[in-house]
Amino acid sequence: MFEGLNLSEEVKIIEKKQVPSGAIMLFGFPDVGLVGVIAASHLISELKDLEEVAYMDSKLLPPLIVLHEGLPHSSIRIFGNNDVLLAVSETAISADVTHSIMYALIDWGKSKNVKMMISLSGIPIQERQDVQELKVFAAASNPETLKTVQDRGIEILKEGYMVGPQAIMLQRCASIGLPAITLLAQCFFNYPDPEAAAEVLKELAKITGIKVDVSQLLEKGEEIRLKARDVMKRTQQELSKMKKTQEYDIPVYVS
Amino acid sequence: MATKRKRSIFDVIDEYFEDLEEWAERFRETLVERPSWNQKACTMEPLRDIMVTPTEVIVTADLPYTEENMIQVKPLDKNVIQISANMKRKIRLDDFGITHHRGEFQKLQCHTRIPVPVDMDKMEIRFKKGILEIRLPRKHEYEISIE
Repeated sequence: MFEGLNLSEEVKIIEKKQVPSGAIMLFGFPDVGLVGVIAASHLISELKDLEEVAYMDSKLLPPLIVLHEGLPHSSIRIFGNNDVLLAVSETAISADVTHSIMYALIDWGKSKNVKMMISLSGIPIQERQDVQELKVFAAASNPETLKTVQDRGIEILKEGYMVGPQAIMLQRCASIGLPAITLLAQCFFNYPDPEAAAEVLKELAKITGIKVDVSQLLEKGEEIRLKARDVMKRTQQELSKMKKTQEYDIPVYVS
Repeated sequence: MATKRKRSIFDVIDEYFEDLEEWAERFRETLVERPSWNQKACTMEPLRDIMVTPTEVIVTADLPYTEENMIQVKPLDKNVIQISANMKRKIRLDDFGITHHRGEFQKLQCHTRIPVPVDMDKMEIRFKKGILEIRLPRKHEYEISIE
């Protein structure tokens, strides 16, 4: 089945296959420690029935395709099975277009009656190499979803700034009334962090029941760190433009 | 109020040209994109980061596939250090599915420019969880005391 859904003139999501209704939609986008991308990549390799169901086509994206086995693919693709939709980007997303891209993906997900959106990401900490047990924090789009997260024993990110695709996702989902969660594992700012990706996947399992074995992810840690250098470097440049270090700032509380 | 030493006009001119050279080097590093690997030298460039605090400069580098005794940190001049690390195994580009380029690498290597004067002799190094950390105390050539 081939269906094109034109959400706006700027961004199109092209469906390649039947997209399930009522799934949970996950996001794994380049950010600090590449936590989301590494976690998403691991989910795709572990959940054998996830296949590409849709992709993004937009003039806002750089003139770039990703070649796999000699065939072209969009850098932003959506994988799915009956229960899960997973949006993943293989390249850093420019700060200027993050809003439009996230709005298009969220509105598309809503049109598929997605029951919840969850972004997988990281929160940078200083002296990360000295930390043995990484914490995972969460924020949600509404009080009910936040309570669900707390009931699963996940610590809440109470105060602070959030910068990047996951920030837009929470805000957009809050405004359209769609339950959404951002999971943030403590991680390196500038270095790929497979351990943090493993931690975020463990917490994802508590919320959704999507359980995957993370031992392979940890065993392949060095290979992932070496392979992910180029994507990390380009992501650093975009994070700098987004003023990602604002996440370290202490906010002035306005009630 | 007192300064430690006075600079001559030649010092000022020298510093001006050094600054200019450094700026040009940084400009080149920023603008000229190049691969993160060097086929001829058989090296891969590690990710690195630099932080300047009031007392020291901290350089870190992500060095996968290496161990502490395989790392060498060498000052090349008063504001450039070279980090080299042999890897435990040879990495080929086709290990990553890349078959249109050829390359075999067994070393991670990079040069890092230190943006402020530091004391290279007092360099401290540690390696933990694959991250190399180099601490360099800052040199403060001019001190102004408050009366």
